[in-house]
Amino acid sequence: MKVVRVLLASFLLLSLLPGCWNRKEINELAIQVGTAIDKVGSQYRVAVQVVVPAEVSSRAAGSGRSPVTIYEATATTIFEAFRKLTETSPREIYSAHIRVLVLGEALAREGIIDVLDALSRNPEARSDFYIMIARKSEGKDVLKILTTLEKIPAENLFHTLDTSSKTWSPTTSVTLDQLIEQLVTKSSSPVLTGAKIIGNQHGGMTIKNVEEAESAAMVRFIGLAVFKEDKLEGWLNEKESRGYNYIMNNVKTSAGHIKCPSGGSAVMETTHTKTKLKGKIVDGEPVIRIELKNMGTISDVECRLDLKDPHMISELEERSRNHLIEVMDEAIHASKNRFHRDIFGFGQVLYRYYPDAWEKMKDNWSAHFNKLKVEYAVDSIIQKIGTTNDSLRKYLKE
Amino acid sequence: MPSSTGKIPMKDGLEAAIDTFRTILGDSQDFITKQLETPWNRNAALLYMNGITDRQLLQQSVQEIMDGVQPSEESSGKPDTLLVNISKKIHTAGDVKLDHTMEGLLSNLLCGYGVFLLEGCNEALAFHVEGGEGRAVEEPTSQGVTRGPMEGFNESLATNLSMIRRRIKDPRLWAKGRKIGKITQTNVVVLYIHELACPELVEEVFRRLDKIDTDSILESGYIEEFIQDEPYSPFPTLYNTERPDVIAASLMEGKIAILVDGTPFALLAPALFVQFFQSPEDYYQRADISTLLRLIRFLAFLITMLAPSFYIAITTFHQEMLPTSLLVSLAAQREGVPFPAFIEAMLMEITFEILREAAVRMPKTVGQAISIVGTLVIGQAAVDAGIVSAAMVIIVSITAVSSFVIPAINLSIAIRMIRFLLMGLAATFGLFGMMTGLIVLILHLTGLRTFGVPYMTSVAPFVFENQKDTLFRIPWRGMVLRPKYSGGKNLKRQQKSPQRKQEEGTS
Repeated sequence: MKVVRVLLASFLLLSLLPGCWNRKEINELAIQVGTAIDKVGSQYRVAVQVVVPAEVSSRAAGSGRSPVTIYEATATTIFEAFRKLTETSPREIYSAHIRVLVLGEALAREGIIDVLDALSRNPEARSDFYIMIARKSEGKDVLKILTTLEKIPAENLFHTLDTSSKTWSPTTSVTLDQLIEQLVTKSSSPVLTGAKIIGNQHGGMTIKNVEEAESAAMVRFIGLAVFKEDKLEGWLNEKESRGYNYIMNNVKTSAGHIKCPSGGSAVMETTHTKTKLKGKIVDGEPVIRIELKNMGTISDVECRLDLKDPHMISELEERSRNHLIEVMDEAIHASKNRFHRDIFGFGQVLYRYYPDAWEKMKDNWSAHFNKLKVEYAVDSIIQKIGTTNDSLRKYLKE
Repeated sequence: MPSSTGKIPMKDGLEAAIDTFRTILGDSQDFITKQLETPWNRNAALLYMNGITDRQLLQQSVQEIMDGVQPSEESSGKPDTLLVNISKKIHTAGDVKLDHTMEGLLSNLLCGYGVFLLEGCNEALAFHVEGGEGRAVEEPTSQGVTRGPMEGFNESLATNLSMIRRRIKDPRLWAKGRKIGKITQTNVVVLYIHELACPELVEEVFRRLDKIDTDSILESGYIEEFIQDEPYSPFPTLYNTERPDVIAASLMEGKIAILVDGTPFALLAPALFVQFFQSPEDYYQRADISTLLRLIRFLAFLITMLAPSFYIAITTFHQEMLPTSLLVSLAAQREGVPFPAFIEAMLMEITFEILREAAVRMPKTVGQAISIVGTLVIGQAAVDAGIVSAAMVIIVSITAVSSFVIPAINLSIAIRMIRFLLMGLAATFGLFGMMTGLIVLILHLTGLRTFGVPYMTSVAPFVFENQKDTLFRIPWRGMVLRPKYSGGKNLKRQQKSPQRKQEEGTS
């Protein structure tokens, strides 16, 4: 009986003394889904997008208010700014569910390393959110654009980038841990996708934006931002971005056009693709060999093309091969001539194959990179031609 | 005041003896005395308790007494010899004995014996004519099956015993009786199969039964509480059932059954934790079906125990574990709910427990009304009023439904009690508290013993051979050995894999 009494007493004390450590009711949280960080003068301005749950849930649909609200604060350091948010927010900002981090282009040009430190130090947040650069605008503005299909704009950005990076080769998604890894690896420079507001920016910030079939403003992922150390240096255009992603094995599926022999274009849809990078030393000079295996189907023929002819398939494969080389070459060209830096991490590849040679080259890698020879071993295979043979154009009455 | 011990006061004549009985029994209405004329020129009397004796048997027995010994044969003139001779002529009654003590006769009288007093005899004749009204054998209500025997025990010990005898026709099925309860004198029978049950275990059961010192045993629950290993545990360490097939099957596994007169619920010892998840139907349906159902029961067990506390822990401490859209949806539901999740859960769980208890205690005709009101109150109204969130209603409902999946009600109630403790821990420490609670629970369970056998046998200590009938139930042809736990001998149940496929060539 004494044991029972002691146990009972300790149980009662247990429930009183710790005072419900760290307890937060779900409706006492401001669920932060998106963060935008900009630089204002010498201070950081943090804007967070917080969900208004009642507006998002399916039960209370149609009250016509914004599904999210934005709080912002400006302070000397990032963390102070985050805490300062409580000046305006009635609830504690809960950062575990952050989906996107939008960095303003101005901030990115000044350097992002301090931002990343504050975020990676936060034990609450997961590191699987996507990071993007607001192109030609402030990060905060990107979060302000209301969206229709995904009610929460941050979710919209996340899913758009996620889908796009899987099905469209010019975009790529980068998470916090990947970004930090690229930043701290010597000879590798990170890239981040740019998010650009298109359309009427101010119209996009009102609820009207989601009332019409065609939204006044949207956010479009366009181009890849190239960094020098942690500072944004420039942008890759669509073709270069495509090349970059092919080299980096970032492409899952995509689509690209091939010029037909008879003029016009045909589209090859990439269904499987795999890139391997290999390093070599030829005559004391580093050479990078890019082995790309690309498999796909013909999904659109906008020229006269006899697809029943096996030679034609081979011809198309050859053209696709050349196209891929051209695209990748463009990216490397941009890397060499515009940025003068190795954005692909070729140095790392070399290091894996020839650590000793790399040891001699690493201090002078930029110079070596500019002279670097790249070999292509591209294999492009057309597996299927869809559910019809010749192009419809052929049957057109003449 | 005449004493209920000692010899029958026959010296003062038959009348006096009858009077003594009547006084001791307090002039009870159902105590019947009949003066009889005998062919031997002696007065005699028949005593019996009305209602617990069978009229017809009694009548026949009296007839046999009268016709059994002719006056001419009565030579010696000694009444005691006459009584012995008479006793040999009673065939109808089961048990016939001569007794000269008041206590013996009284206890027989109250067990449905007829007592025949003959003038001049120091002894009296008691013959067993027990009978009277009882409940018929009906379908068991507490442990239903869709396939399997539909008869359940009733309140009569003899009937219950017969149901098991009919199932196991073997001389090694031994039924040893005890009378427990100083006043109620309840018949308790210990059943086991000699050579299958571990002798030490049988001994231990008797030892514990003999230690019971109480004045009344009205249900097997009394016995259970007196003989269980660990009084301060919510977990039942004795299995109870009202199904004769369950008892028979357990006896065949070397277990020991305790049948108590006056209740349809028999006890089984030792009772292992996994046994409470086994339904008799598991063995009547195909093995694959049974395995699936059994796994569902274990799942339901976990849901009953953990669902509310898990919900509390995750929504108040570990919101990062939820997918974002689920978190947003839960947050939307909780918007405007005035209580913390813990209070909300407690409110709903207690409401449910009240409704459940009401449904059990209420007259069956009103039950319908309660269930309608209950569902409306708990479900829709509470959510609409904004007192609880819809998600909590789902959690409480799934908890409630799952708790009814566990075949043994006493285990299900034990889990429901533990659930509240875990909810408290979850509300104060989150998952950390829950896990601590679960560790304590596992320590407790592994430390429990049922008649010296570890409660978690098959799992901890792990017994590989028993796995065929723990989480899974393999087909009967694979159950070559009886489960191992009690150290019983004679483990072999059948020859290894009997023929299963049709021989090739036969059409």
